[in-house]
Amino acid sequence: MWAIARTELKKTVQDKGLWFWTFVLPIVFIVAFVAIFSGDESTSYKEVVTQIIPGYTIMFAFFIMISMVIVFVKDRERGMVARIASTPLSIHQYFFGKWLPFMIVVLVQITVLFGFGVVVYDLPLGDPFALILLSLALAFIVTGWGMAMAVIVRTENMGIAMTQILALGGALLGGLWMPVEFMPEVVQNISKALPQYWALQGYKEIILSGGGVGDIWFHLVFLIVAGVAGGVLALVSYPRFLRQSRS
Amino acid sequence: MIKVENISKHYGTLQALDNISFTINEGTCFGLVGPNGAGKSTLMKILSGILLNFDGDIHVRDWQVSKDRLKIKQQIGYIPQEICLEDTLTARDNLILFGNLYGLKGKELQHRMDEVLDQIGLTDRVKDKVVTFSGGMKRRLNIGCALLHKPGIVIMDEPTVGIDPQSRNSIFSIIHQLKAEGSTIIYSSHYMEEVEQLCDSIGLIDKGQLMEFGRMEELLEKYAKPSLFIAGEGIELGMLQSFGEAEAKGNGYLLNSEEPLLTLEKLVAHCREHRLEPRRLELYHPRLEDIFFNLTGTQLRDA
Ligand SMILES: Nc1ncnc2c1ncn2[C@@H]1O[C@H](COP(=O)(O)OP(=O)(O)O)[C@@H](O)[C@H]1O
Ligand SMILES: [Mg+2]
Repeated sequence: MWAIARTELKKTVQDKGLWFWTFVLPIVFIVAFVAIFSGDESTSYKEVVTQIIPGYTIMFAFFIMISMVIVFVKDRERGMVARIASTPLSIHQYFFGKWLPFMIVVLVQITVLFGFGVVVYDLPLGDPFALILLSLALAFIVTGWGMAMAVIVRTENMGIAMTQILALGGALLGGLWMPVEFMPEVVQNISKALPQYWALQGYKEIILSGGGVGDIWFHLVFLIVAGVAGGVLALVSYPRFLRQSRS
Repeated sequence: MIKVENISKHYGTLQALDNISFTINEGTCFGLVGPNGAGKSTLMKILSGILLNFDGDIHVRDWQVSKDRLKIKQQIGYIPQEICLEDTLTARDNLILFGNLYGLKGKELQHRMDEVLDQIGLTDRVKDKVVTFSGGMKRRLNIGCALLHKPGIVIMDEPTVGIDPQSRNSIFSIIHQLKAEGSTIIYSSHYMEEVEQLCDSIGLIDKGQLMEFGRMEELLEKYAKPSLFIAGEGIELGMLQSFGEAEAKGNGYLLNSEEPLLTLEKLVAHCREHRLEPRRLELYHPRLEDIFFNLTGTQLRDA
């Protein structure tokens, strides 16, 4: 289990594409959008940065699903899944080992992007305990869904396309680009079914309204339940995934 | 002893294995031979405990695959047909990964890694990334990763596909070494010569069915009768048939005979008398290739 996690982490660190998607691109987006919107007189600077920094952090957190899809599909195509299934490692240990490094990457990503916000834009943070719990829940759902998608998709391209739909569609409808209050009521109802919405509302609650864990408990439960659902789906789909493994 | 009892396996509607049974004695080398798509890899994956949905049962020593899967897995080193390595990492990282997966750690792992690296001849490349390796080196590392935990049973699925003769030889010497250490080896291939050279017993598999199973010599004796091969200008089937049962083979003819030496004498006399000069006239030793042809009517290679 730790062996798998360690190996995966080593591979991840070497993956330049992942660094770009995870850290470089989001920072570029944050800088660009803060520059564009902070000129707006009608919203306070604090509101602008609290919309943009957590918003883009959430959006780009979802892109970890692409890396997960690539890793799992590759493992399937070169028969690594079958190879590992021939060792005494259990399925749960396998998934845990594969999942942990991505969880760590997303947590580092959230830390770096928020840290960037604090240092460059004076982003206020609010209750640290609530902030950490919400960030854990966010990392949990994106990696949980990532595992489910990685195990289910037939091809890498299909996984990349689906991630983009989920990440960009979710960002639009979940209010990451523009607060949901500005959107039609129908859309606002859809938003409430999306993890992106609950994650952003959670961060706003903590940062803008000074909320604590008690104020975001529903947000946390929503994200964790959705993440668990992803994990369960991955486990259930594993036999088919193994059957498709080469060699 | 490894006892395979009535194994069948379906992929959807496709029957990949059809009621296969055989027994392998420990310490021997068993060769599974058949054309591409015969079901070799499927059987290997079932034996390694990878595929779980199949009919029938497998006993390894006193264990039953349906109950004691973990114990069996710890005893098996499975070397897949595909090269399963993390190629952006070093050989050392790969060995550590697989050693860990079999529960090896610390000094013990280091010690086994040194031994295995020596065995596969990669000691001086251990710090290099696998991407920089040749096909043959990757194959050898692929084997090494499965040997760290000293498995009593080594399952090799077509380990020599697509490599140069030199690497093939070094893989053969690894296998000979494993045999000398008393390991049980289950080896699949679609190259007859390899299996003839390495294995004590063989199973011939085609379209999911085990066509024949037994000790090498027994099978050769049973199926491929000693015969003569003759080729050249003026040598015709009609003429040969007066000496025995004849058939075309390659660019000449095969003449079956209970007493090949005697027939050879007669043939030589006949050729002299009719001033025929065959290009080739020789005793023909039956090969596994011929058995397979006799059983299935197809050549292994173009199958
Ligand atoms: N995962 C799979 N799903 C569906 N069919 C498969 C799968 N794996 C193998 N097959 C089919 O089962 C048959 C046997 O395949 P395999 O065991 O790989 O043969 P071999 O190793 O002898 O070439 C082939 O017809 C192959 O197409
Ligand atoms: Mg095969």
